[in-house]
Amino acid sequence: MPPPCAPDGFMNFTPLVQRPWLRPSAPVSLPAHWCDNAAILALRQRWLNWLVDQPSGQWLLHQPDPLQFTAALLALWDTGRVAVLPADDRPETLQAIAAELDGQLPATPPSSVQAISAPPVALAAQQIALVLYTSGSTGQPVRLSKRFDQLDSELAVHAALWPLADCAVVAQVSHQHIYGLLAGVLHPLCAGAPFSGRDALYPEVLAARLAEARAAGLAAVVVSSPAPLSRLPTHIDWLAAGSPRRIFSSGAPLQSEHAAQAEQLLQAPVNEIYGSTETGGIAWRQQTQSVVWQPLPGVDWHIDDDALVLHSAFLEQPQLGWRQADRVAARDDGFVLLGRGDRVAKVAGKRVSLEQIEQRLLQLPEVEAVRCVDPGRADGRLGVVVALTAQALPQEHAARRALTERLRAALADQLERVALPRYWRFVEQLPSNAQGKLDRTLIARLFADLDDDRQPRWLGEQWQDAEHCRHSFEVPERLAYLRGHFDSFPLVPGVVMIQWALQTAERSFGALGSFRRLERLKFQSMLRPGMRFQLTLVRKPDAVSFTLESAVGRHCTATARFAPQVEDHA
Amino acid sequence: MSETQNLSLELKRMIIETLELEDITPDDIEPDAPLFGEGLGLDSIDALEIGLALQKHYGIKLDAEAEETRQHFTSLNALQALVEQRRVS
Repeated sequence: MPPPCAPDGFMNFTPLVQRPWLRPSAPVSLPAHWCDNAAILALRQRWLNWLVDQPSGQWLLHQPDPLQFTAALLALWDTGRVAVLPADDRPETLQAIAAELDGQLPATPPSSVQAISAPPVALAAQQIALVLYTSGSTGQPVRLSKRFDQLDSELAVHAALWPLADCAVVAQVSHQHIYGLLAGVLHPLCAGAPFSGRDALYPEVLAARLAEARAAGLAAVVVSSPAPLSRLPTHIDWLAAGSPRRIFSSGAPLQSEHAAQAEQLLQAPVNEIYGSTETGGIAWRQQTQSVVWQPLPGVDWHIDDDALVLHSAFLEQPQLGWRQADRVAARDDGFVLLGRGDRVAKVAGKRVSLEQIEQRLLQLPEVEAVRCVDPGRADGRLGVVVALTAQALPQEHAARRALTERLRAALADQLERVALPRYWRFVEQLPSNAQGKLDRTLIARLFADLDDDRQPRWLGEQWQDAEHCRHSFEVPERLAYLRGHFDSFPLVPGVVMIQWALQTAERSFGALGSFRRLERLKFQSMLRPGMRFQLTLVRKPDAVSFTLESAVGRHCTATARFAPQVEDHA
Repeated sequence: MSETQNLSLELKRMIIETLELEDITPDDIEPDAPLFGEGLGLDSIDALEIGLALQKHYGIKLDAEAEETRQHFTSLNALQALVEQRRVS
């Protein structure tokens, strides 16, 4: 008699509605901080006991520990309740959604005298399993329900593409978000695969989990995101820890060099998943093979006016279709992403509404205009250009520091810490080009000192006529010229002030000819890091006069003389 | 300047440079104040960056026991103790 077919990963997959957590899981020799069904069920029982005389309905669940989280989630589902997952646990977030809730789970199950037996409730495909929150383009939280059939459709796709037979899953992302929940908790649960019960954000922890999986004879699967993958240290002996079978990345596109580096260090493919809370997974790619996103099986798509329009069983209303906010272009049999069509940035994989930041800052009395921008830096942090009333403009280090702290604090009640803008530019008015726009070139100029530590921080210019202009600047604290010489009392060397004046003159008036000499040069007071200063320039025949001054007075004045222009001796 | 003071200043500069903190000077970092959350206001992404910088500057490899290791990041003094104890170079 032939032996029965050996079950492969896909065969092992059991959808959520069939409650895969009730199956006995195969014994594995992993340390106790890994989650398997036995550990989850024991903890779930304590929740079942406690929940028996609690209200039914929608329950808030925020639990950073994956084992605690999963046990509580299953207890809610097994008692016919809905789990409401806030994106973070700041009091303001929880308060905003409290009204919609029937209860909030404590951090650990309270002891209970009752011990109830097997859960009485069967799960129905059309039943709501989860409520999730994400940020809309105005920053208002958007509430989304997920039915079991939506989750199961997507999990079946994961199981078909990336089966978890003989695998152990290590997540570097939170299960409070849909991607971390599906890939890091629910897929292993449905496949009977163990998953790491602790946060593995830090690379040293990841290496330890990889080694534990290998020692247990299991292939590791890493559920990650661009933030940790772009910061993998090279000094860890990743190969000694053990190569995973696969690495997932989602939340935001991974830069191609980071995808290549992660593959090289960990010796495993990086599969990026493109999706959103509203849509679930949409497409995937292995960037080192192709930058083109391949739609996931079951996702029907077309492009309408640069936007991706979707139909899939992962949507709340599959028949209606969904228009994604990202702009795309068709390429081969998939598409490439061209950037967002709305004013939302992704910071550490989280959606941040630029408009929300602007609206909040505009409520402050000293703020006259604001533009929140993504300066496109490797760290992904946001920048803000803030036009302030004249009295509110910070003139020196302590005032600027106090101001940025106050503005960050004003935003902190609405935003997670990583979303708080890191780079602040305080201006008299928002700089604008000939069309009246604060365009990319101007934004790049406002943040140029970040990449060139020899430049002053430019904050705008005003022209009286073609020969007279005034530029505003700050002295960056990290200016290269401050290093070494004046440790106890840093100040800007006079020669640097002159250099800045001449550079700015050339930028303002065009080529000035060859430099002859400085006349009437005077240094009057010290220019220190953090100080705001104005540079007034006057164009004269074959010369430029400049004055560099700040709230404390004049720092430097001179007239720079240039050789007469060559046309003269024709 | 003593060796301890030197290291303290060096670490403050490492944090400021690594995280591109524009408004913070070494004098603004209180040795006992929390670096994360309240205080300097750093977050989990910054913790990843500091981990990389410690390896680059001092050859320090952090342990897997995250809870314990990242306790060294709670304040500048704690970070300094870690570097004094574990520096390779």
